Amino acid sequence: MSLAAGAVLSGLGVGLNSAVGEVFFVKPQAPLPEWTKSSKSAADETAALKTAIANVAASLAALGERAGGTSAEIFEALTFLLEDDELFELAESHIEDGWAAAAAYGKAVDTFAELLGGDADFDERVKDLQDLSKRVQADLAGIEMALTLPEVGRIVLVGEDFSPADTAQFTKAVVGVITLKGGPTSHTAIICRSRSIPAVVSCGAAASLNNGDTVLVDPVGDRVLFGGDESLATKAITYIAINDEPIIPVRANIGTLADAENATAKTQAVGVGLFRTELLYLNSKVVPTVEEQAAEYATILAAAPKGPIVVRTIDAGSDKPVPFLHMPHEENPALGVRGFRLIQDHRDFIEDQLKSLEIARVKTGREVWVMAPMIATVQEAKQFSDLARSLGGYKVGIMVETPSIAALIDQLAGIVDFVSVGTNDLSQYLFAADRMNANLGSLANHWQPGLIRTLARIADGANKGGFSVGVCGESASDPAFAVVLAGLGINSVSVSVSQVGAVRASLSALDIAKAKEVANKVLVATSPEDAKAAALDALAQL
Amino acid sequence: MSVFSHEVEVLDPIGLHARPASQITKLVKESELNVEIGRPGEEFVKAKSALMLMSLKIKTGEKLTLTVETDDEAKAADIAAQIQEFLKG
Repeated sequence: MSLAAGAVLSGLGVGLNSAVGEVFFVKPQAPLPEWTKSSKSAADETAALKTAIANVAASLAALGERAGGTSAEIFEALTFLLEDDELFELAESHIEDGWAAAAAYGKAVDTFAELLGGDADFDERVKDLQDLSKRVQADLAGIEMALTLPEVGRIVLVGEDFSPADTAQFTKAVVGVITLKGGPTSHTAIICRSRSIPAVVSCGAAASLNNGDTVLVDPVGDRVLFGGDESLATKAITYIAINDEPIIPVRANIGTLADAENATAKTQAVGVGLFRTELLYLNSKVVPTVEEQAAEYATILAAAPKGPIVVRTIDAGSDKPVPFLHMPHEENPALGVRGFRLIQDHRDFIEDQLKSLEIARVKTGREVWVMAPMIATVQEAKQFSDLARSLGGYKVGIMVETPSIAALIDQLAGIVDFVSVGTNDLSQYLFAADRMNANLGSLANHWQPGLIRTLARIADGANKGGFSVGVCGESASDPAFAVVLAGLGINSVSVSVSQVGAVRASLSALDIAKAKEVANKVLVATSPEDAKAAALDALAQL
Repeated sequence: MSVFSHEVEVLDPIGLHARPASQITKLVKESELNVEIGRPGEEFVKAKSALMLMSLKIKTGEKLTLTVETDDEAKAADIAAQIQEFLKG
């Protein structure tokens, strides 16, 4: 099918800038062939397997060279697994039994995967092995595995959705990204937002684009224009400040020392609304001591922008495992033992984290608020609140991510000092739609009326209960949506460092009464498209 | 050819994981000797395969026996000492 110039392909925009480039289609990975017996001699199959292993080793070496530093060591270690003697001998014995090389290697890897399985220390290695197995089988079948992108030019990548491994290979030539599936909280969207690459996700119609087509990626207009140029890009609403400060504080989301420093140096963020602590632990193999944790926290607290710092206690689960917590594999990690639920088996760790934060708080003199993720009941909130208050002098709150606690916000009066809404997870649980499932991206759209009404109820509950309510999910990074949040009665927002300026701008362009008017128009919308259009229309008239 | 036995202890806090396993494998391959490792009284595995070593799922604090097939007693002792180094983590 060919498109007419000016044809509009609708999706969900990510970012505020537009880009023009040539379409570069990334074909979905062709499925690997079924395992079969071979009609060739064992010697031929063994030789083919050796060649395939050598090819994969060469591609790993090339990736290692490009990555450099410690990543190069990772690729070297992978090569070691790939070329393991016993693995090869086992594959050879399957070839002797008549299996083709791809099947023989795949079966041999499965055997080792089973031997190593059931042990948290080796889960990552098992994934590595299976990935190597796929690469060897793909090489034997002549299927292209690696994403090879041009280094020069202006390309707009088009694909179903991109994995973290894919996005890591984006080159400078990638000026725009379009995904057929995936929503605004997909990995692709988050990466594009943080790297300021204009993107349109959930754009199914992009399937009709062809390599070399010129397109305009127009995230503000939630669309892609076939044959368009920059002059056709939808202008982001220009907000004209009527106040020096936004109607509600805009805080920054951080996870590392570098984030804290950036937020201070490059933005006018008022404090931190979400400090994700798990990043400090994902790479440690042993439990850090209270002293080590306190020292690390103190450095980050000291570097954070002025204002309160809201620290979320560890938010790990079996999909985001912390090596030393030995989390068993779960069928549904998003619905499993994660966040505050870890207290069942790891009370000591959570207590140590709170103790470390208290030491760092006293040492730096900063205003620290602590909150627990994945709270589903008032009892859990009470349990966390009692624990935290017994260990430190910080303000205590919880994350609102489960629909059950969203229904009970007013009952948290007297238990918490604040709540913070994680809209990414709240959407996932509210809509029963896996965040990672690219086919369900449109349900993760923060303009969904079901989410907006829920946020309104949460804000009412908190106002009635007399404690403050913030929003720290991706939704708050959308300047127009931030106005809606303020209008609904949310008291602060926390956004990624790159979005602080844009969100401050929209929230400084009107007063609270006007924000309420915008929110009221949005609340009656019956579809995400109508909700967004209602907000943008109202804001354009400012 | 004689077989020399040595005892080593895994001190690495996460046990015999990928890195020490590949260090041992590299050393053994370079030595071109037949080296086996296992828990005393259990089946031993060839140390030239990192995957076989990892499949033993050895945890920190475990004592292992390793056997080196060689006529050079000093060499066997040297290999055992280097492997013990790798297991310190």
